[in-house]
Amino acid sequence: MAAQQGDVDELFDVKNAYYIGSYQQCINEAQKVKRKYAVVLDDIKTNSPPELQAVRMFAEYLSSQNKRDAIVADLDKKMAKSVDAANTTFLLMAGSIYYHEMNTDAALRTLHQGESLECMAMTIQVLLSLDRVDLARKELKKMQEQDEDATLTQLATAWVNIAVGGEKLQDAYYIFQEMSDKYSSTLLLLNGQAACYMAQNKWEEAEGVLQEALDKDSSHPETLINLIVLTQHMGKAPEVTSRYLSQLKDAHRAHPFLKDYLAKENEFDRLVMQYAPTATA
Amino acid sequence: MLTKFETKSARVKGLSFHPKRPWVLASLHNGVIQLWDYRMCTLIDKFDEHDGPVRGIDFHKQQPLFVSGGDDYKIKVWNYKLRRCLFTLLGHLDYIRTTFFHHEYPWILSASDDQTIRIWNWQSRTCVCVLTGHNHYVMCAQFHPSEDLVVSASLDQTVRVWDISGLRKKNLSPGAVETEVRGISGVDLFGASDAVVKHVLEGHDRGVNWAAFHPSMPLIVSGADDRQVKIWRMNESKAWELDTCRGHYNNVSCAVFHPRQELILSNSEDKSIRVWDMSKRTGVQTFRRDHDRFWVLGAHPNLNLFAAGHDSGMIVFKLERERPAYAVHGNMLYYVKDRFLRQLDFNSSKDTAVMQLRSGSKFPVFSMSYNPAENAVLLCTRATNLENSTYDLYSIPKESDSQNPDAPEGKRSSGLTAVWVARNRFAVLDRMHSLLIKNLKNEIVKKVQVPSCEEIFYAGTGSLLLRDADGVTLFDVQQKRSLATVKIAKVKYVVWSADTSHVALLAKHAIMICNRKLESLCNIHENIRVKSGAWDESGVFIYTTSNHIKYALTSGDHGIIRTLDLPIYVTRVRGNSVYCLDRECRPRVLTIDPTEYRFKLALVNRKYDEVLHMVRNAKLVGQSIIAYLQKKGYPEVALHFVKDEKTRFSLALECGNIEVALEAAKALDERSCWERLGEAALLQGHHQVVEMCYQRTKNFDKLTFLYLITGNLAKLRKMMKIAEIRKDMSGHYQAALYLGDVTERVRILKNCGQKSLAYLTAATHGLDEEETVKNHSYVFLKVHSDINAIAAKGKAGQMAADLDMDAPGGEGWGDDAELQLDEDGFMDAQEGLGDEGVGREEGGGWEVEEDLDLPPELDLPAGAGGGAEDGFFVPPTKGMSPTQMWCNNSQLPVDHILAGSFETAMRLLHDQVGVVNFGPYKSLFMQTLSRGRTCYLGLPSLPCLRSHPQRNWKDCGAKQGLPAVGLRLSDLISRLQQCYQLTTSGRFEEAVERFRVILLSVPLLVVDNKQEIAEAQQLITICREYIVGLTMETERKKLPKDTLDQQKRLCEMAAYFTHCNLQPVHMVLVLRTALNLFFKLRNFKTAAGFARRLLELGPKPDVAQQTRKILAACEKTLTDAHQLNYDPHNPFDLCAASFVPLYRGRPVEKCPLSGACYSPPYKGQICRVTQVTEIGKDVIGLRVSPLQFR
Repeated sequence: MAAQQGDVDELFDVKNAYYIGSYQQCINEAQKVKRKYAVVLDDIKTNSPPELQAVRMFAEYLSSQNKRDAIVADLDKKMAKSVDAANTTFLLMAGSIYYHEMNTDAALRTLHQGESLECMAMTIQVLLSLDRVDLARKELKKMQEQDEDATLTQLATAWVNIAVGGEKLQDAYYIFQEMSDKYSSTLLLLNGQAACYMAQNKWEEAEGVLQEALDKDSSHPETLINLIVLTQHMGKAPEVTSRYLSQLKDAHRAHPFLKDYLAKENEFDRLVMQYAPTATA
Repeated sequence: MLTKFETKSARVKGLSFHPKRPWVLASLHNGVIQLWDYRMCTLIDKFDEHDGPVRGIDFHKQQPLFVSGGDDYKIKVWNYKLRRCLFTLLGHLDYIRTTFFHHEYPWILSASDDQTIRIWNWQSRTCVCVLTGHNHYVMCAQFHPSEDLVVSASLDQTVRVWDISGLRKKNLSPGAVETEVRGISGVDLFGASDAVVKHVLEGHDRGVNWAAFHPSMPLIVSGADDRQVKIWRMNESKAWELDTCRGHYNNVSCAVFHPRQELILSNSEDKSIRVWDMSKRTGVQTFRRDHDRFWVLGAHPNLNLFAAGHDSGMIVFKLERERPAYAVHGNMLYYVKDRFLRQLDFNSSKDTAVMQLRSGSKFPVFSMSYNPAENAVLLCTRATNLENSTYDLYSIPKESDSQNPDAPEGKRSSGLTAVWVARNRFAVLDRMHSLLIKNLKNEIVKKVQVPSCEEIFYAGTGSLLLRDADGVTLFDVQQKRSLATVKIAKVKYVVWSADTSHVALLAKHAIMICNRKLESLCNIHENIRVKSGAWDESGVFIYTTSNHIKYALTSGDHGIIRTLDLPIYVTRVRGNSVYCLDRECRPRVLTIDPTEYRFKLALVNRKYDEVLHMVRNAKLVGQSIIAYLQKKGYPEVALHFVKDEKTRFSLALECGNIEVALEAAKALDERSCWERLGEAALLQGHHQVVEMCYQRTKNFDKLTFLYLITGNLAKLRKMMKIAEIRKDMSGHYQAALYLGDVTERVRILKNCGQKSLAYLTAATHGLDEEETVKNHSYVFLKVHSDINAIAAKGKAGQMAADLDMDAPGGEGWGDDAELQLDEDGFMDAQEGLGDEGVGREEGGGWEVEEDLDLPPELDLPAGAGGGAEDGFFVPPTKGMSPTQMWCNNSQLPVDHILAGSFETAMRLLHDQVGVVNFGPYKSLFMQTLSRGRTCYLGLPSLPCLRSHPQRNWKDCGAKQGLPAVGLRLSDLISRLQQCYQLTTSGRFEEAVERFRVILLSVPLLVVDNKQEIAEAQQLITICREYIVGLTMETERKKLPKDTLDQQKRLCEMAAYFTHCNLQPVHMVLVLRTALNLFFKLRNFKTAAGFARRLLELGPKPDVAQQTRKILAACEKTLTDAHQLNYDPHNPFDLCAASFVPLYRGRPVEKCPLSGACYSPPYKGQICRVTQVTEIGKDVIGLRVSPLQFR
């Protein structure tokens, strides 16, 4: 993609739609492009199977909980050998799996080999999850040098801005806002805006944005999590908060938020044991 | 110079603007005077009575009059309302060059080739003064705008200034009588002249064609055949030449001062108009015509408008654009006025100057683009020579003193137009007409090749509208490609709706409304110039022309809302307010009546309830509305307007409303109505109505057939009877046939003498009567089955047609199916290829590995430091998360909980308030934890990222963060109300639980000041008092009351309860309980005490009355029957475990959090009130504010 800079990127709309989380539109666009550029695709396909395989691997990983260990082991083996650094898709998929596995070292090592915007964006995400804002900023600078106006660079800028906080939060908000103006508002963008608002303690404004997200999808996990935060900060009745929590528990048992939540509950129970009154009645 | 209007005519020798209306008079060389409306561009009237050229022309300032003077020696005074010449003034002996009204007196001043200047009184229609002295043609004579002076120009090369104060005194002083001019001298008996020459200005060395006073300064400008324009200054005693403007290369025809600026305009036979700067005496602008010599100039007295007459017509023009540069964002209007950028808040109408613009350009700001994200503006300035245009990029200062705003340093570059395309990017159309994208530092980020383009407009983030000669293109800047194009010539302005779903493209005389994809929705043509526009909140486009505010719906419907005196520039429309800027850049608000367009909009959107509401309340009714509705296809709405039955009827039919039509038809009761209704009803299958119609019109045949097809045999039989009575043989027979009634048919045939036919019929259906009766049913069936058959055939026909319709559809599907197959095959092929590809690629992969031996080793994380010199990647260690910092930065328990550090949080709670049993805290902990982090999505299908809202986000930097708490003291306080309500309604256990949650929440607060700390502590006290009291009361209710001792204990507890600090409303209840119990126990003295306390609280009247009675009863015997462990006069604390009084001075243990008291044996146990803390524990104390650590 980087090589095509300057030319019109036929897959532009598809990628954009994908990055901002507008998946239905992404599929529509992709079909449009596919019909027109079937020949081009044909060309790509003859030498692209490793990429497709990588995607399949990731899909398998996501879909079946019990095969995960095997897939990761398989991946480890592949990674132990040399990898084709030009196969961005493979790198991305491998990085995604490692990231899901919370093996950030491996994820970063994998992504480090790629030079595409996608790899850098994912690197930034991993670094942010490690609270290495400093390194994320460096990586972002590299992205900006490559193509500052690319959708992915803009999004990555927004993530880093959120992590940096302070005045940068407003910038992050504008990036999300601009994208939803430009394309369409999606759950991803709305939750991004909500995060910016909440980080600025603008709870009323966040409520509007999250309500819009909730209207789009009433069981979207991140929206629900943000609502759990929001309703408490707005001083709503505890029942409102617990309703969102149970909704989340019902629909997204495996969500990392809930995993953390349960772990914390256990931790609490364990810690309670350490205290006792000196006398009993 | 901007030409506003042009005419073609014979040579124009004189011009005059109307001071108020948009009119200009042009007097022509062929004797005609034309009255033009320069705004509507129409000729209003023609006055053709002069014989030969008309040179002098002037409107009266107040009256509907004008004066003209011609080569026929005549001065004519006209009334344009009456459209005729009122009278003619005779006296001049040669051509008349100019004629002017006095601004105040009823005088006319005329200059003539007879070398005289005359003053006439147009009321008495006489010449009141003759000014002699020039010794050649007098080309021009004008009154001074305020003083008693006249200036004249003559071919004798002089300009003269005359003092006419004598004339004024003589003629206009009270009681003065105007005298007829004696001779031509104007010298009275005493030799004093009415008008005397005051100054003679010599300097031109050829004949002078024009001279004029400055409107306010003691200056005169003159133009002469020596090709020069001269400026003269005068005072009481003398006048002198100030300066000369050289540049014209032929005779100067006319020269005037600009009424409001330091400018002089002159025109000449050299076919040019020139504009001179008065102070610098240099030419600033020149406007040339190819073939026409200029003869005269006129300046509008109030507006920035001029007119110039030439050989083949005249032009009306202005020197510069008067459109203010403005931009609207949300509730803010930004506009440029007098070198300041101002900001107007629409809501508060607060208008402030936010910054001063850099000076340096002589041209006003042409357009503005505002960037709300960066609070920055781009101001574009157009030069006369477009290539010299520039733009400035300013970032607006955050804090500004409106009286003396900052003048920040802007960044200036050349370029025609600059427009924001993103938060940190703007597009510049440079003078080569190529497109540059720049960043906030005004550095070029990239160059974009665009199709030919002469202007760019904003089109939302990342897009631009490019205008070329005959269309507008929507261009995506990022992808560098055109997305859509629409044809419309010369768009001048672009107005986007607030949600950018619609755009209005404004050209000089046309408006096109398009959607986001630039698909044209409607086109509106205007005869007058379109000026500006804005979208109202309901999606109606409100725009202005030179003289109207109008509306346009996206459906193309448009109309006038109101008229305007002067052009305005709409900035925003809300409700019935139109916010605008006028030409003086003053923000104004006009009110409009939006009913009409709201009504039409509601119609378009099919919101009929709204329509009806408006119809009923706005009194819109009128023929035009009905016609409009009918024309636009809303007969059903029009129906509601109409009272006239006939119109109602036809409207109802039009919209197929049979019920209403029936009503109307009943009221009208006309044959034609019933027939039409019948037809319409038949089409709708409304056969009851059809039946009624046929009945009313007595259409028996059709009625009979109707009954047949509806199968209503009883009625059919009735019809047969009717036919019989009417002696309608054929109808009778037909009905019988329909009914299958053979006997009847036979009878009819017999009756009408067709015996053979009767016989035949009888024979066909069985000979004798019985048989006919039998067969009757068969025939009936047969007829019916025939009918069915016909019906079936009809249906079959329809179905066939349906099938035909389907056939091509089938083919279509076939095509698709084929396509599908192709694709499938293609897919297969691809898959096949794919497999091969895999093999090959893998081979390649292996090769790669063979080539590079090292990587596997390098990849081993254990290979410590191995090849560290080049690009060996070391995964970074985990950074410090905001939550860790929270723990570092704070000693408040809630901050640690929010950070997820339960362990430290518990320790803090333990040390500060002595919590030892954390069980009840679990839900609070988990809740608090769950509001500590928000999430946002990064890349698709990856786990979300986390953000941590902080309460000091503005200034915490990277290290000093503290979490946003989300639990407010005020929330807790408001939750108290619920608890009080529960208490009032007697649900004590629930109330206790809630009080306890509040109590436990208090240590999880963060407050800012000492007062709030005190309030938090007070909150704890309130909760404690209630919990202790309510728990005791619950306990008391469980106790037995059989023995006296038990009853005594109950009384004691009730008495203690009155010493809990409760709300008055609760205390009343508590005291009543205690009062009753003690009264029953005959402890009257204590009871009386309770009664008095109760009365002090001001209970309800009935309670008070009862209490007083009891009190009275107690006071009779003021003694206590039993000794109780209760002394109301000895202060005590209540043990929260054993519920016994701990009188002051006795040892007591307290709960470290709630402060509840206990008798010493309870030390070390769990506090009964909080259920989490250890009684008597040594602690630091409640910490809810960073203040407490200083």
